Amino acid sequence: MTTSRGSMRSLTSWKTVFRQYRIHKDQRRWQTTLDVSAVSKSAPLLDITPPPAPSVKTHRHIKAFPPRPSTWKRCKDPIAAVMASQMTLLDPTGARKRLFHRSNPESAKVGDILLVRQKNGEPFSGVCMNIRRRGVDTGILLRNQLTRVGVEMWYKIFSPNVSGIEVVQRKAKRARRAKLYYMRKPKHDMGSVENIVRVYSRQRAMLGTAGAKKDAQSYIRQKKKVQKKGKGKKN
Amino acid sequence: MIQLKTLLNCIDNSGAAIVECIKVLRMKRAAKIGDRIIVVVQKQRNFGPETGPGGQVSISAANKVRRGDIRHAVVVRTAKKLQRKDGSVVRFDDNACVLINKTGEPIGSRLNGVVGAELRDKQWSKILSLAPMHL
Repeated sequence: MTTSRGSMRSLTSWKTVFRQYRIHKDQRRWQTTLDVSAVSKSAPLLDITPPPAPSVKTHRHIKAFPPRPSTWKRCKDPIAAVMASQMTLLDPTGARKRLFHRSNPESAKVGDILLVRQKNGEPFSGVCMNIRRRGVDTGILLRNQLTRVGVEMWYKIFSPNVSGIEVVQRKAKRARRAKLYYMRKPKHDMGSVENIVRVYSRQRAMLGTAGAKKDAQSYIRQKKKVQKKGKGKKN
Repeated sequence: MIQLKTLLNCIDNSGAAIVECIKVLRMKRAAKIGDRIIVVVQKQRNFGPETGPGGQVSISAANKVRRGDIRHAVVVRTAKKLQRKDGSVVRFDDNACVLINKTGEPIGSRLNGVVGAELRDKQWSKILSLAPMHL
């Protein structure tokens, strides 16, 4: 049987009993000074955490950064800006743009026979079936027959590889479709346009030299006029 | 887009007129210009107006391949649009091929018809030199 500690305590050792009691008493006193909440949380009695800070509200200055500069305000339409910059780079004179612009009454239209001269490779001619207007990505679809096989080529008109586009023959009547895909059908197929292009290139070769001479003459005449004007002003 | 069962025109003088693709070699996609395929000759080209019993002999003499032969071929034209490096796109009205043997030499000695310029990149210079025109 187990007996309580008190009964087992020998009566002769009162001194030790009192000593134990004194230690216990000290602890008790300590417990009363402890924070009640800390004790209730079954924390170790000798907690060395610092006491909670006094709840006096001090205004700490938090550094606030200004909002980042708005890219939208700086450039409202970046894609248009890039397109414009590319256009000035690829088509500095604007001649190519004018050749396919809607506002130009003399522009190349679907149904016309066009000749595309390239930097590397032979020129390709064909009936323009479609003009896909997309800014710098504008392309034209040409159809021709080579060795009795129909061939269609898409060319980007602002491509650096395309050195020149010429209108060989205009369509007699304006096409009433934007896309002449019906020309793929045998009934509407124009066949080869080589003969028309050959005649055109021969005529152009003849006129080209004469035109160049005329240009040179007119240039000289203009120069003379300018000189005369200059002289007049001096006098 | 040349794939299984596609019928192609054969544009050389090997004797085949129409061939059928039965395998696109070395790739999982459809064949383009310059790709090598295996074909079956479906229709023979008949040379000359011979129709008599003697004509049969001359046909077999002129034709290097017969109907039902299995041969290798190179695609030279596709009706599917093919984009080039410079942004231009080429499209032909038909699908066409040239028969070759296993070492890559063309079986025919002449080609009639335009071929795609992509053959140059794919090292088919022999076919390009035979062709009357390339684009």
